[in-house]
Amino acid sequence: MIGKSVPRKEGNNKVTGAAKYTNDFSVAGLLHAKLLTSPHAHATIKSIDVREAKKCPGVRAIVTGVDYPILTGSAIEDRPILALEKVRYFGEPIAVVVADTEYEAQNACTFIKVEYEILPVVNTVEEALEGKHPLVHEEFKNYTQVKELRPDPTRNVSNHVTVRKGNINEGRTLSDITVEIDVSFPQSDHAAMETRSVRAEILPSGEVYLHSSSQAPFTIKQSIGKYFNINENKVIVHTPLVGGAFGGKAAIQLELIAYAASKAVGGKLVTLTNTREDDMVSSPVHIGMSANVKLGATNQGELIMAEIKFLFDSGAYVDEASDITTTAALNCTGPYKINHVWCDSYCVYTNHPYSTSFRGYGHSELGFAIERAMEILANKLKIDPMELRIKNAIKPGDTTPSQAPLTKGNIGNTAKCLERVKELINWEEGQVVPISDRIIKAKGISSLWKTSMSPTNASTGAIITFNKDGTMNLNVGVVEMGQGTKTTLTQLLAESMKVDESKIHVKMEVDTQTSPRHWKTVASTATFMAGNAVLEAAEDAKRQLKNNAAYALRCKPEELEVGEARVYLKSNPKSNVNVKDVAHGYKYENGNAVGSLVIGHGSFMMNHLTKKDPQTGKGVPGPAWTVGAQAVEVEFDTKTFFYKITKAVTVLDVGKVINPKGARGQVTGAMCMGLSWASREGFTFDENGIVLNNQFRTYKTIRYNENPKYIVEFLETPQSDGPYGARGLGEHGVIGMPAALANSLSAAAGVPINQLPIVPESIWRQKRGGVYDINKF
Amino acid sequence: MISINFEYHRPHSISEALEMFGELHAKGKEPIFYNGGTEIITMMRIHSLYTEARAVIDIKTIPECTYTGFQGDRLVIGSSIPLAQLQEMPEFPLLGKTCSRIADHTSREKITIGGNICGTIKYKEAVLPLLLTDCDLVIAGDNGINEIPIQQVFDKHMLLAPGSFVVQVLVKKQFLDLPYVSKKMTRIDRIGYPLLTVSALKTGEQARFAFSGLCDFPFRSNSVEDALNNQDWSVQERITNAISQLPAPLLGDAEGSAAYREFVLRNVLEESIAELKGG
Repeated sequence: MIGKSVPRKEGNNKVTGAAKYTNDFSVAGLLHAKLLTSPHAHATIKSIDVREAKKCPGVRAIVTGVDYPILTGSAIEDRPILALEKVRYFGEPIAVVVADTEYEAQNACTFIKVEYEILPVVNTVEEALEGKHPLVHEEFKNYTQVKELRPDPTRNVSNHVTVRKGNINEGRTLSDITVEIDVSFPQSDHAAMETRSVRAEILPSGEVYLHSSSQAPFTIKQSIGKYFNINENKVIVHTPLVGGAFGGKAAIQLELIAYAASKAVGGKLVTLTNTREDDMVSSPVHIGMSANVKLGATNQGELIMAEIKFLFDSGAYVDEASDITTTAALNCTGPYKINHVWCDSYCVYTNHPYSTSFRGYGHSELGFAIERAMEILANKLKIDPMELRIKNAIKPGDTTPSQAPLTKGNIGNTAKCLERVKELINWEEGQVVPISDRIIKAKGISSLWKTSMSPTNASTGAIITFNKDGTMNLNVGVVEMGQGTKTTLTQLLAESMKVDESKIHVKMEVDTQTSPRHWKTVASTATFMAGNAVLEAAEDAKRQLKNNAAYALRCKPEELEVGEARVYLKSNPKSNVNVKDVAHGYKYENGNAVGSLVIGHGSFMMNHLTKKDPQTGKGVPGPAWTVGAQAVEVEFDTKTFFYKITKAVTVLDVGKVINPKGARGQVTGAMCMGLSWASREGFTFDENGIVLNNQFRTYKTIRYNENPKYIVEFLETPQSDGPYGARGLGEHGVIGMPAALANSLSAAAGVPINQLPIVPESIWRQKRGGVYDINKF
Repeated sequence: MISINFEYHRPHSISEALEMFGELHAKGKEPIFYNGGTEIITMMRIHSLYTEARAVIDIKTIPECTYTGFQGDRLVIGSSIPLAQLQEMPEFPLLGKTCSRIADHTSREKITIGGNICGTIKYKEAVLPLLLTDCDLVIAGDNGINEIPIQQVFDKHMLLAPGSFVVQVLVKKQFLDLPYVSKKMTRIDRIGYPLLTVSALKTGEQARFAFSGLCDFPFRSNSVEDALNNQDWSVQERITNAISQLPAPLLGDAEGSAAYREFVLRNVLEESIAELKGG
């Protein structure tokens, strides 16, 4: 079952449209909620008048910020459920209207009168650090910190993370050559097909039921309990199939509003689904960044030191941004061995939509900065960029920027990935090859790495039950959001039980009342964590099956083995009993029954993770590092600066490929996302902080026929504690794409391209030295 | 979702449509005529256009509006013909090509030629071939049904009296097969709003040019054309002069800055002139 491309268990239901998502639901009496959002990026709310709106047909209730004056947040409690006293970003929810129908709720929103006093806007991270008043959060000092942060509230900094490895002065002295670059990109959208959706109901018993398109149903349960002062055991969360998440659905936002909305109508069932516009800016977005990187090396190209500054645009509220700031710092060098590393990573408030996790979680962001710097270093050293990367590739025995020791078991083979990419992209042909008098072909490469930062005690579980025919039911708390983990877990169980995967029924929906608690379906950890739990549950089930079978076969349990739906004597497999006959105890011919009903359970908890040292960053942030290398090939028109992405390559060291087509799909999808982000995505803000492109008519993602040829290969250096040696791979395809694209286009155009997205106009601007002058042609 | 309630009316003749409009207007329902409805759907749902309309009149089933074919020496195109259909129509290749680059295929199945030129969108790219061919528009309104040269009713946008609508576009046969170019440039994708769209038609030794996306409105300008046709100048001089004759400042927006638009325009004009010369 391992290494077999088992089709997704839910695939037929999805392609026929039968699969049900959160908002695919209607029932008599269902009430509809709609958000009124802020048209300003920074303004004091002088008054909100809902009297006219309340008179609108169908309206049952209107909730505004003052009804729930509580602050929420996973790292620091800085965010009201609905804006309180002031709005801090364009699109911030101000009020929620509950009505009999969706259109009545939406209509009533237009009758709410809000009086604003416009405030000056903090529109960039650089402006934010100047610390001019009004600050984004004047009351920061009164907020509750949930995680350990190092803020500087007078400069709009919510978290400042430092990494100090080696001795930077020594590094500077030892470096023969240094390069310095600035890179940046704006915030962008997750662009999941399904917009965020939630449904809430409060029963007379006090039980709160939520259905949410979420990556974190168990966190919802906690948050509702915490913020509304309800015993958490009364909160039950269901998550059916999720239509794409990419990190954007790990944040808790609409759930809190939906609870408040239901409460306002006496606990009746209320549904709240984002419009596309709201999903793009009112709900949290992909983080933006400005960075400065200095790399020092010897003349021979040995990396000596890195001095890095990251300024992350968290937008108006922190959410996951402080942890992304941390992860980026702790892994700031990418997969290279550097002895002297200083990194200062800042999480900065602005009046932009607030940022949360996005596929890659800090690693694509740091990767873009580092890999552009590596390219410039190679150019300056006149060393082949591929050779420079291979020469400095990190390996077992080295340490990460946070001084985490790397071993054969926790890191793959970066150099080997690069070597293979070199062949696949035909690097020997040359980085830049003319194909006509105007068009040139150019290539760019990038290495990548990623670890998964989780709470040091993140945990999960798995439960296996048996049907009368001996087939199994698998229940885990992992959300199926298109990544195919449920199928992968099925394969792991099938392998362990030595049966066909068709004999296993995996529950797609997560129900926090019956599914074992799973931290969150994030960070490419589901196969690693839940996979280990499934294997433990399988062992547990086998042990119980053997106990029951021992009665039937009149032997000791330890003499037995389980496989192919039978329990058999190791010494004589012909002496066996069907699993179906021992899964529910064993019944002798005379009717006597012995043994017990088999319920396999297993669990997994992250171990050996340590908190980081607040000064040096020293610590072990994640269980392992997946490494890889990527390349992009473009055809570039030297006259118009238009380009076409023709080829994209990824070689990823995944430990063990469990489902080849599934793995390829994940990596290809992530590459597509990375190329789309790098080439065309990003929010455009006007001078007032208003997002100008919060619709797909103006916010562009790559279209089907604009995709290049994708080449994906895997190396299999086993992760010692991964299920069958497997590592996480869901996010990684995205990581090196922006840098590889920028490196190819920089080589093609002969100018450094350090800003995303890279549209032809950006290249044109660089070619002109960054100067706009209409008369200078 | 459109949250405003409004009435839907579907007349089956021009006279019925006009009558309906009068009645609904008298009742204060601020009626609007429409064809494909894409602008109503997309703009009303975000409450940014037509928020006062309480009645819409769908003219798609009026026979004259859905007619295409030749009448005498003119090609007749009903205003309700969707862009996707024009794209496949061999009779007027310049119009087909220009329409093929408006929006995406799904939208082109809905967007009509009448809707594209009468809507509020600033690009109205379907009007460019019409401006180049001196077409006549059949307009129904209080004054009856009249054929009016497009130059008289289109200046930056359609100048339609309230309660009137475009029934048909009439294009003289002599223009249909002339050499042409049609080029659309966008920020990056094939599909999207234009940085600029240029349509050009070669009539004898002269070439006609019409533009969209360059300024805040689509246009054809005599002085721009004179500059581009001036054989005394080099191609670069012609282009530089044409740019100095633009009827309004170059647009600078999220699709591209004004300076970049000029760069793109120069390239596109150079290519267009070369292609027309060859053709």
